[in-house]
This record gives sequence, C-alpha cells and structure tokens, in this order.
Amino acid sequence: MSIERADVLRQVDAAFPDSTVVLTLGGTVREMLAVAGRKGNHFISLDAMGQTISLALGLALGLEEPRPTEKVVAIEGDGSLLMGLSVMSTVGHLKPKNLVVFVLDNGVYLATGAQPTAAGDIDMVTVAKACGWVDGRDVRTPEELSAAVAWALSAQGPILIRVYIGTAQIPTSYFLEDPVILAEDFRRWLRAEQAPTSIG
Amino acid sequence: MSTQTAVAPVGIDSQEAILERRSQAVIEGIEAIDPDFVLHLASSTLKIVLSHFIDGAGARPGRRVFAMPREEEGVAIAAGLELADVRPIMIFQDNGIGNLLTSLLTLSQPYHLPLLCIVTRRGGLGEYNSMIHTISERSEALLDAAGVRWFQLDAHTPIERWAVEIERAWHFARATHRPVFMLVNLMGA
Repeated sequence: MSIERADVLRQVDAAFPDSTVVLTLGGTVREMLAVAGRKGNHFISLDAMGQTISLALGLALGLEEPRPTEKVVAIEGDGSLLMGLSVMSTVGHLKPKNLVVFVLDNGVYLATGAQPTAAGDIDMVTVAKACGWVDGRDVRTPEELSAAVAWALSAQGPILIRVYIGTAQIPTSYFLEDPVILAEDFRRWLRAEQAPTSIG
Repeated sequence: MSTQTAVAPVGIDSQEAILERRSQAVIEGIEAIDPDFVLHLASSTLKIVLSHFIDGAGARPGRRVFAMPREEEGVAIAAGLELADVRPIMIFQDNGIGNLLTSLLTLSQPYHLPLLCIVTRRGGLGEYNSMIHTISERSEALLDAAGVRWFQLDAHTPIERWAVEIERAWHFARATHRPVFMLVNLMGA
C-alpha cells in the first residue's frame, strides 16, 4: 500500500502539535491546510524554492536554547531539496539536536506539471549521514511511517526521514494569504509558547 | 639585481593600511550590534573581519559563527534565526548578490523579516581580478531593481563614522522590517 502526501501531513501534524513545523511551498502547504487547518506552529513558506531546510535550520539554531526539548520539523519535497542541496552540509556541520527533516519524495515537481526530479538516483539518507547528520531512514509503507514519526519524536537530531509518496493530491484552492500576516501569526504563537507560565 | 617594492606616496596610505583600518571599523560596528550569529561567505577582502569572528576576539562563548556555501542559504537561515528572535548578521562579497535575490525576495522582503547584510565591494579601483567587476559594478543597480534598501561606506564617509553607521543600519532594518544592505569598500577607493 502506497503512502500519499496527505497521509504524512496528517501524522506529522498529530505528532508535533506544539512544535515548530516549517512547510515547503506549493501543494504541501495547501494540503496541510486542508488536513489540519491554519496552525500557529506551522510556518508557511510560500515560494522560497529550495530553502525550507535552511529556514528550519535557522529556527532550530535559534530555538535550541529557549526550547531545548522541542523539535523543529521541516517538511520538504525532493525537488525543493535538490534546489538547495548545499544545506545538507551546513546541517551536518552545525548539528542542531532539535532538527527533524521529512523529505516527501514523489519523484516529480508535482506543482508545475510533474516533471521528473533527479531524486530517484540519489540515496538521500546516505548523503545526510555522509554530511554529518546523526541518522536517517527511508520510509515506504504506512507501518514504517508510523514507526519513523514515533522515532522522530525522541531521536536526537539532526535526522532525515525520506518518505516515498505517490502523486495523488487533495483538491485545494490557492492559498493567498499575505506573507507579513503569516510571519506575524507564527511569531505570536512562538512568543506565547515561550512566555513564562504565570502562577496563581 | 634590484628589487622593486610598491611604496605609497607620502601622505597616501597604502592599500594594506586602508584595508586594515576599514576592516577594524567594520568589526567595531558589528561588535556594537553584538550579533548572536555571524553567517559568512568566503572572501579574501574580508579576511581581517572574518578572522576576528572565526578565531579572534569576536569568537566569544554564546556566539555562533559559521560559513555559508551559498548566499541564498544564508538568507533563509537568517530568516529562521530572525523568527526565533535572535540576532543574526550576514557578511559576504557583492559578487554574491545575484545568488541571493530569489531567496531575499520570496522570504525576507515579503515576510518583513529584518536582516543586516555587510557586503564588501569588489571591482573598483585597486581591484586585481580581471572578471569580478562585471558583476560587482552592478551591485547598486541590482539592489535598486530588486527594491532592496542599501547604504554605502567608502572614502566619502569619515572612517570614524563607519562603526556608527553600521550600527544604525542594524536599527534601520529593524525599524523598517526589511533587509538592509551596508555596502562597505575595504579596498581603498
């Protein structure tokens, strides 16, 4: 049984309800909105091609100290990852313990007409480990996905989970929110999360 | 056999002296900002500045200093750091401006994420590379076309003002919620 993108998004949202989740652009954003709705902890990157992991890396580095137990999760696609592959070496060098990266690999640039990517010839987990990441896994079945999500909750990062997915899409509308509002919504959520809890 | 040594005329600083003095002013300006994260790219012109932060007095506990393989990657990491409410700056050469425009204009600029970039000038008087001027001379035009706010420090600005102006650029980026580029000419022109 194959895994579809929406399946992964549902599981990640359920597993990381209070963690920073950085979403890659295009269909991933729209499908996460369809399955989970607008979430304060989801940072929506609308068009920064190839920069999802870099953005998440910055958040992971910046949040390591104030939120040491919380994960920063990046949801990236195979095509976008290949647009900014150099970040693999930067992550491996800096080794943020809180960074979890899911690469949803459908083998194509789905948002632009399903042109094939070069991902099929690349062993991403081996690349990550060779760059200095702590660990990684390939996921091909729903059972492996559930196990990998559970593993990501407790594993020390940086880790990379490559999920082989199909190309089925949920029908969605364009998401046309102002990026300023997206950034401010996320910041408000983060500030509220970091605010000390009042007693009495 | 005679040897020839380049000697600056009386009253004119050597290029090395200018580089040293201006680099120190840039260091002073950045230290006044006291960034938590210093992201940099490879640059021979920036050697003095980068040495200060990589293994000099600026490599202090609590500050992370690391190299970027690509300028656009640095922009995205800095955007994440800004969202996390810490203090990043980026240091690189102007021939990398072309690399970062898409990242800057799809992330920092439209999301209103402040970012101070200290960008060294190449391609002007004193340049020793036969190619780099073809991109470096277009830096201002590229930034203008992209709608990116920039300021410039060169011989027109008294060296005593450089550090202050760099610190002001940091505050200006935050006050106006956008990336700001401070172009600095360390090569003497």
